[in-house]
Amino acid sequence: MNRVFKIVGFVVAMGVITSSLLIGMDVLTSERISRNEEALLQSKILDAFEIPYNTSNIYDTFVANVEQVDVTIEGTVVPIYRNPDTGSISFEIEGGGVWGPIIGVLTLNEDLVTIENVGILAQQETPGLGGRIVELPYLAKYEGVVFDPFVEVLKEGANAPNQVDAITGATSTSSAFQTILNDSYDQVVPAYQATLGGE
Amino acid sequence: MRKFWLKIQYTKWFNITKDGLFKENPIVVAVLGICSALAVTNRVENAIAMGLAVTFVVTASSLVVSMVRKVIPARVRMITYMVIISAFVIMVQMFLEAYFPVIAAALGAYLGLIVTNCIVMGRAEAFAVKNPMKYTFFDGIANSLGYTWILIAVAIVREALAFGTILNFRVMPETWVNWTVMALAPGGFFVLGLIIWGVREWAQNFEVAAE
Repeated sequence: MNRVFKIVGFVVAMGVITSSLLIGMDVLTSERISRNEEALLQSKILDAFEIPYNTSNIYDTFVANVEQVDVTIEGTVVPIYRNPDTGSISFEIEGGGVWGPIIGVLTLNEDLVTIENVGILAQQETPGLGGRIVELPYLAKYEGVVFDPFVEVLKEGANAPNQVDAITGATSTSSAFQTILNDSYDQVVPAYQATLGGE
Repeated sequence: MRKFWLKIQYTKWFNITKDGLFKENPIVVAVLGICSALAVTNRVENAIAMGLAVTFVVTASSLVVSMVRKVIPARVRMITYMVIISAFVIMVQMFLEAYFPVIAAALGAYLGLIVTNCIVMGRAEAFAVKNPMKYTFFDGIANSLGYTWILIAVAIVREALAFGTILNFRVMPETWVNWTVMALAPGGFFVLGLIIWGVREWAQNFEVAAE
């Protein structure tokens, strides 16, 4: 009996000590981590709007050049970032990939149909296959593609203006990305147009 | 001087360090932890970052295991190592994400997967749990630096052949055609295999089949 108590006591003590260490570490780093994530999002949007910046003035450049429009979708407020000079808009897209969520930024032309830029913020796809989704030469293929009626990611023979080539050897990631793009578009763009119309 | 050197050769800490770095190198001899050794060695900077992260985790977790070795109940020994190791890995991950987000992004999932790196668990069970803290410290440092130097050696060859650079400095002539295969997993296997062969040949470490 004594031995059982000893084991339980040890496990509890170990749990308390390690979790308090981790909570302490989280308190120390969480602010910086969320600031880094924000800076990554802002730099991707500035890239998409072709506004020059450097690593030390991301935040200031962003605030000075990008305006934010809050749109309510099913009760949650979603920020949409707008370039006042060109009228193009950027918003975050998110959905399930093969191994985990894929989070990215979609930038649309002022006509709200043509893709200006696609950026990836986070993904956990297979390295070397689906993971190639972060490569800029691949993402560049999405430039100029239109959501008319929807974006289609094809294994081969992408010719029409709404079609893009899939990543070779990564069919599941490609089709997941197609779903993410179209679902996000269908959710955000009508809500954005409604908000603009209502103003 | 010579006498001093001879004396050092018979100290325990010297032999522990030598074993970790060469004689019982975790990658070359024990062939542990090669998953990450293949995955993150396409760039020298990633290899260095991974090596440092593993060095911290191995040394810190071995020290803690050695510190509490007399109070760990034998039945929950493994789970104790696991909890200690995971705690340190999560701390490293948070630290890199907060202060070096670019490196954290380059290492990606492999950073979290240090938890499953056999070297960490291996040193805890094979050494830390039976030895006092001072020797455990040398053992942890030596084994993880043994891992790190092989990683860096593989990465130097791979980065030079795949991108023509080392630590982003151009080392190959402008006419060099990049070997893309070296940046991919097969290139890692080729180079790691050759290095293991080379080091074993040099150290005269041959495996003899049991009679």
